[in-house]
This record gives sequence, structure tokens and C-alpha cells, in this order.
Amino acid sequence: MNNDNISVIKVRDLLMVTMPADPDDPTISALQDKVLNAMERYEAKGIVLDISAVETLDSFFARTVSETAQMVTLMGGRTIIAGMRPAVAVTATEIGLTLGNVETALSVDRALDMVENKPRPRGLS
Amino acid sequence: MTPAGLQGEMLIKSESDLVLVRRAIREAAAQAGFGPTDVTRIVTASSEMARNMFKYAGEGAVRWRGIDSGNRSGIELDFEDHGPGISDVNLALQEGYTTGDGLGMGLSGARRLMNELEIQSVVGQGTKITLRKWHKSLQ
Repeated sequence: MNNDNISVIKVRDLLMVTMPADPDDPTISALQDKVLNAMERYEAKGIVLDISAVETLDSFFARTVSETAQMVTLMGGRTIIAGMRPAVAVTATEIGLTLGNVETALSVDRALDMVENKPRPRGLS
Repeated sequence: MTPAGLQGEMLIKSESDLVLVRRAIREAAAQAGFGPTDVTRIVTASSEMARNMFKYAGEGAVRWRGIDSGNRSGIELDFEDHGPGISDVNLALQEGYTTGDGLGMGLSGARRLMNELEIQSVVGQGTKITLRKWHKSLQ
């Protein structure tokens, strides 16, 4: 339906992945393929997943994001989820969703600061 | 706070209807006077219910209406299907329990996000799940 709404752009060694506000299930499912294929094609060091437009993070969406991050890790990359809205963070916590050990940042800018200034923290799987 | 006469109905028959349902309920919850965080809670709980309905029953209907009981008001949402039903409602409400490939967060999560969640289910006949959210200041 709106698969094209996930944009994947390579910036230096990173993939900038932007989610639309209210993606349908096929769009969410397409995230994994798009990201993993782009990781291989561009030999990226990791992804910054911009969810600042996302209004609803339900359990299906959260699971897909968390699994994608695990897959990126298996491929040797790093995933930073950027820009979660306050209402989404409140709701996700109340519903009991966790994103595992995925790194998070307040915004895409902060995510890029993390990549530039700091190596990937130890102990994150 | 909830305008009188707020109500609506939508059928869920395909995956893409989930997006339309979320959009309609977001609008209804905002019209009912809920703030951004409560709107997100209501839409997220509804998304879990609508996806369960589509996944287990194939199709169903969602209805919403403004509710008013004396000194408080809010919104009520019904998710009704004629699917296989839930054989053990208490088990289904347990966190982490799933018969599908989900996280088992749907029902237990939705209950935490809303003020009330009621399940009426008859195996082989269908399920009706009612969610209610009341305005905080008037509780």
C-alpha cells in the first residue's frame, strides 16, 4: 500500500531509515528486508531508525523493530532508534514493550553524535 | 467533555483496514477531548484489538461512542467478531500468553492502557471485547 514510505538513505557509513507516521503491516514487514539488503549493498556500519513521525507503536511494530535490530547486530552493524515521541514512549512502557538492548537517541542529530563520539557500548548484544 | 452524539463504526476485512481504523479512532478520541498521550493509549490498544480480530476471526466490526455516566465521561469501543472465540479468557489475559506468533501483549497490554476491558466470548460463535477510557479529571 505505502511501501515506498520507508526511505533508506546512505549517509557516510550509516543508513538513515525513516518510518512514516502510520505504516500498515506490509510496510512494517518490509522494513526488515529493506534494511538488511541495504546493509549488505552499502556495507553500512549500522542504521539510524528515525521514528519521530510514528504515532502508534503497537506490539507488532515493536517486535519488528526489535528483531530488525537483532538482525543488524548479527550482520555486524549497530542500530540506533531515534526520535520516539513522548506519548509513544509512555504507551510502550505501560503496555510492557521493550526494544531489548537497542540503543536509542532523542533525535537523529543526537544519534549521529553518538556514532561520531562514542564507540558502541560494551555489553550490548 | 465528550461531545454528545460521538459515535462511529467500521468493518475490518483486510490488513489495510487496520490503518483506517487507527486513523478513525485517533480522530474520535481527540474529538472526545483526550490529550495526546491518552489518544496514543487508546489508538494503541485499539490497534492490538483490531489486529487480533483480523488475525483470529478474519473480519469483524469496531464501534465507538462517547459515554457519560453522571459525573464522568469518556469513550467506549467495541470489537466484535464471529470468529473462533476465546476458550479461556483468563488465560488469554495473561501477559505473554499467545496462541499465534504474537508477543502475547495484546490483551494484557490493552487492559493496562485503558480503564476497563470486558470480554464476552463463546467458542465457535465469536468474541466481543469492550474497552473504556474515562477522562482523568472527572474520575
